Amino acid sequence: MTSLPLSPAIVTDMVGSLFIIIFSFLSLRYAWLLTRKQPENFLWGFLFYFCMTLAAFAISRAIGHLLKHILLFSDKQELWQTISPISGGTNTLLMISLAAVTIYYHKGIEGYQAINKKARSLKEAYDQLEVAADQLQGMNLHLEEMVVERTSELSASEKKFRNLFNNSKDMVYFSDSTNQLLTINGAGFEMLGYPVQGAPALNLFDIFKNETDLDSYYETLLSQGFVEDLEVEFARADGTGIHVLLSATAVYDDKGLFIGCEGIVKDLTRIKTMMKQLAASEKMASVGQMAAGVAHEINTPLGVILGYSQLMMDDFAPESEQGQNLAIIERQTKACRKIVADLLKFSRQSENAREDIAINEILLDVIAVTQHSLNMDHINVRQDFAQELPLIVGDTERLRQVFVNLVNNAHHAMEKQGSGDLTMITRYDPDTHTVVATVQDTGHGIPDKIKARIFDPFFTTKSVGKGTGLGLSVSYGIIQDHGGQIEVESPVINRQSGEKMPGAAFHVKIPVMLVEAASVHE
Amino acid sequence: MNSIRKVNALALFLPLALLLAPDQAWALQSHGATESIYVHQLAHLFYSAALGYLFWDVGRNAFPGKGWRYLQIFCVLMILWNLVAFSGHWLGFHIADSDIIHPSGYFSSQITGPLSAIKLIYFSATLDHLLSVPALFFLFLSLRSLYRSSDEAEKK
Repeated sequence: MTSLPLSPAIVTDMVGSLFIIIFSFLSLRYAWLLTRKQPENFLWGFLFYFCMTLAAFAISRAIGHLLKHILLFSDKQELWQTISPISGGTNTLLMISLAAVTIYYHKGIEGYQAINKKARSLKEAYDQLEVAADQLQGMNLHLEEMVVERTSELSASEKKFRNLFNNSKDMVYFSDSTNQLLTINGAGFEMLGYPVQGAPALNLFDIFKNETDLDSYYETLLSQGFVEDLEVEFARADGTGIHVLLSATAVYDDKGLFIGCEGIVKDLTRIKTMMKQLAASEKMASVGQMAAGVAHEINTPLGVILGYSQLMMDDFAPESEQGQNLAIIERQTKACRKIVADLLKFSRQSENAREDIAINEILLDVIAVTQHSLNMDHINVRQDFAQELPLIVGDTERLRQVFVNLVNNAHHAMEKQGSGDLTMITRYDPDTHTVVATVQDTGHGIPDKIKARIFDPFFTTKSVGKGTGLGLSVSYGIIQDHGGQIEVESPVINRQSGEKMPGAAFHVKIPVMLVEAASVHE
Repeated sequence: MNSIRKVNALALFLPLALLLAPDQAWALQSHGATESIYVHQLAHLFYSAALGYLFWDVGRNAFPGKGWRYLQIFCVLMILWNLVAFSGHWLGFHIADSDIIHPSGYFSSQITGPLSAIKLIYFSATLDHLLSVPALFFLFLSLRSLYRSSDEAEKK
């Protein structure tokens, strides 16, 4: 080949120029559509400017090339020589612009990425805010329900502890660091004898009867932080004392400073009474044993004295001085034997009969025997017998003797005042399964200082010759022998009104067999 | 005072006098025909470098989608086109007017023999549209793909 035809190059150049224009404008169209769709997207903006510059370059170059071919075809080389620098210069300028647009693209992309980063950060913050807002809204929606629920739980809890505080049978109190009582429950006021409403402000100084007890309580509380089972005496509103068992715990604030205490106080009156009764019972038992021993020892010589005195009475005429002396010896010896017999009854050494007894019948018998003498001293006898009382098992004669003794004592207590009421009451106590028979008078009553001694043998307040001091002792022994108790109450407290009444009441409590009690209830 | 005013008036007049006598434009540098081809060649290099940068940056950012891959192909083809065009312009200096003849008009133009490497390369360079047209085609594919991708993303 000696030469190369340039016609393929001319054809390629012309056709290629047309394609260049077509593709550049198609590209520009899509770039424009992208910017229309997402105007805020920098990349589309860049591509649009890039395509626009490229389209301008394509037009410039393609038109230049086409014009060149057309002019050269038409043999107008001079004209082309004139236009050529303009076309070439424009092409150069647009190519440089294209390069510049591309080169500066990175600055734009950096800015765009920074903006995007910021936008993402803002979006994340917005999303978080949205989530937080949703949560807040959710919390708001449930807040009221939660408040109601919590309030209800708190109320139930408060009610529970309030009930425990109010319904406690023991005194519950809260005090401050100066021992001033801040809160006391109803049982506490009742124990101290103050009205629940309108009670004065109290301090532990007011209710501790002994100052040394208070000092001991306070020192222990401060040193150990608690006081456990401290037995002290409280002063009631009326000035009387009450034995209590106190436990308390110190209360501290957040800084560990002592700010007061909370305590529980238990009334020991009942326990004290029981202990006294137990002590008395033990004492009576020992006295009974001694009395039984003494009675046995004295009974024999008394029998001998009585026998010999009766033998000697046969030897003397009753009107003679010796006969009368012997009669006195015989009478006094018999009196001594009666005393001995009473001592044996007290000490339960005598034999007992066991039979079913209706207590109301015994009391009616006693009233029948004693009513006449009672009426003589203007003492009214009242009966308040429960119907259908269960039967008790025991010795009728000995129980009758108990009630005769009690009625006689009541008579004695009222005879000086010239009138009075003697009330005999019977009832059934289902809690203890006992029949309770009460002999109550309106006499002078029994002083506290002798209450503990009235059941002692030979203790009497009667004048010499009017009593041996064995009546209540014997009665005590008989009731004990029946498995029961005899209690004294003076002054008498009215069971309905709670008022104190003058006089004394003896409550005889005798147990009932459970089978019998059940039959009565049926 | 008057002498100062006279000096000032003279100082103003002299530059105006120069403008009125532009026989020799002292402040302007003359640019010959060679300079334009140099500028044009530098523009090709500058454009190639810009396309190279665009290719690298698109790859670096790892933009997702076929559209960006097409754009990279466009960059490669256009760089090649630039090199071909650059070579064509450069070889144009080594082709004498007598090397191209027009026996029966412009369309019958030929490169006369004997054919050297320069002449063959020059001939190849005249077919530069074989690179630039595919390059523009890939640019078109790139933008169409990006548009469709954004359309699909919006629909999702």
